[in-house]
Amino acid sequence: MERRNFLGWVTKIGGAAATAVVAGPAVVTTLSPALERREPRWASVGQVVEFPHGQVRNAIVEVPREDRARSLRHRGVFVLRSAEGELTVFSRTCTDLGCPVTWDPGSGWFFCPCHGGIFDREGTPRAGPPKRPLYRYATRIESGVLWIDLNSLPPMA
Amino acid sequence: MARKFRVWVADRFGWNPFRRNVLDRRVAKTPWYYGDGATLTFLLGVLVITGIAMTFTYTPSPDAAYESVRHITDRQRLGWFVRGLHYWSAGLMMVMLMWHVLRQILVAGYKFPREGTWLIGVVLFVLVTVMSFTGYVLRWDERAIHGMRVALQTFGRIPLIGEELVLLIQGDSQPGGRLLTRIFAVHVIVVPILIFLFVTWHVYLVILHGVTSKGERKHLTHTAEQQKREYKAQAKDEEKGETFYPDTVIQSGAMGLIVLGIAVVLVFVSGPGSLMPEANLVERSFPAEEWWWWWYSALIALLPEWIASWFIVVFPLAVLLGLIMLPLVDRGPERGMRKRPIVVALVCVIIVGIVGLSGLRLRSPWTGWPVAEALPLPAGLTLNADAERGRQLFARQGCASCHSVAGHGGRQVAVDLARLPELRSHAGLMQYIRQPPVGVAMPAYEGWATDEEIARLADYVLAAQTFPRQR
Repeated sequence: MERRNFLGWVTKIGGAAATAVVAGPAVVTTLSPALERREPRWASVGQVVEFPHGQVRNAIVEVPREDRARSLRHRGVFVLRSAEGELTVFSRTCTDLGCPVTWDPGSGWFFCPCHGGIFDREGTPRAGPPKRPLYRYATRIESGVLWIDLNSLPPMA
Repeated sequence: MARKFRVWVADRFGWNPFRRNVLDRRVAKTPWYYGDGATLTFLLGVLVITGIAMTFTYTPSPDAAYESVRHITDRQRLGWFVRGLHYWSAGLMMVMLMWHVLRQILVAGYKFPREGTWLIGVVLFVLVTVMSFTGYVLRWDERAIHGMRVALQTFGRIPLIGEELVLLIQGDSQPGGRLLTRIFAVHVIVVPILIFLFVTWHVYLVILHGVTSKGERKHLTHTAEQQKREYKAQAKDEEKGETFYPDTVIQSGAMGLIVLGIAVVLVFVSGPGSLMPEANLVERSFPAEEWWWWWYSALIALLPEWIASWFIVVFPLAVLLGLIMLPLVDRGPERGMRKRPIVVALVCVIIVGIVGLSGLRLRSPWTGWPVAEALPLPAGLTLNADAERGRQLFARQGCASCHSVAGHGGRQVAVDLARLPELRSHAGLMQYIRQPPVGVAMPAYEGWATDEEIARLADYVLAAQTFPRQR
């Protein structure tokens, strides 16, 4: 029985070691996107002069990316320029569950198609389930061009 | 000679123990609706075969995925049928899964000695749910990408590890190619292997412990050993038992075939699941979930505000925890429905809830949305020039994005003009449109529309609130 017990432990430890050597790296490499540090990723939204005062405009930014994929290469965002000229860039992602909000130029509000979230032009929630205002990207203006940092928002925004 | 060969094969390939322990085994007789488990296995087979057929064409790259689905559907010979059958079998699988789980709750399938069978079943429940969702992401249309983003938003709400989970699933800080690749790996490799393993285990336990039977609801037992003896006695009984092959196989196989028949009819009647435009994050989109998720969508839209923020994380966990705890908590000997009113009431609430919420999802005008055209006038009515201009402005200024007019078009999230709670004067209406009272979810048109436009809108509202109601 002594011998059997010993051999049993050898089998278990050997099996565990082999599993760790193979599965360990496999799990780590699968997890790696979640472990990487996120650097700012700046993308150009367009010339500042394209955005009239007191209005909201659709804009399309090109996402700089490694995989060179065509689909999802572009992202729509909403640019609000206040009457005073201040620029705010909203994500299209509804803060309730992530559906794409649409801008209604008639009423000047944003509508979410999924569960009835409605935001005013400042991005403040006015009806439906959302409680948080629309996500705002970090912005920067460089020689008349408006840039946003795509990584300034959570990855699901 | 031939007989000798058969005996050799049966011996060397291990056929005899299989025939003895599986095919020739005695089981308790069960009613027809016990065929749901076999039907699920049957549908799994349909999904595996149609799924494999599609992987020969499907391209898991964001640039080609959508086109390859269109190719399967439109250009490949019988591709529409294969994809249609995959789609409808998947939907029916969700229905049969609910049936199976709720039936097992009703007939106490989770009680001793079958707690293990139940818990392995819970694992399968989770795996099939994952499949039902990842499957439609692979279509890579707008429904796919926006549905996926709703799922990611849910994961993102999980405290502490939410963002890391999103990064793990998305594979990047922005949605792109890696997201699709990962979903493909999960849908086509990881989860199918797990489902195969756990289905085998589940079926093994069903063979070992049998299924619930009529007799055990009458003769109460108090230990797992007594219960096993009771089951064996029934299985051996000439009246109450039968031989698995062919008696049970024919009966439960019939249900599987009927459900397959329904799937085939559905493919011919309504074709494979419709494709929206290719996945993008640019176009205005009105995505909707697949029909087996309608109830959930209605549920989260209707939740009171104070509960909503934690509900979408807590609810799935609570369902899972409830399923796991059920056999550990409800350990009493009673197996009949009359003696277990709480469980029966729970199942009723679930069924009514799912059906009712799905109906609500279909009927409710959840949200505002831009309306392009001016709303039609009721037949035989004309407006004066001012009100007519107001009618044009009503759509252009986004009023129709929320208000309907006596059922004549317009969205229905805000009050219908023919049902205004209080009537106002022209000046009162103008004031209301300029600056709605605090707490009313309506944009202030002060500075957004001119005074002249607001006056015309008020003209139209005055006329419209007298329109005859439709519907």
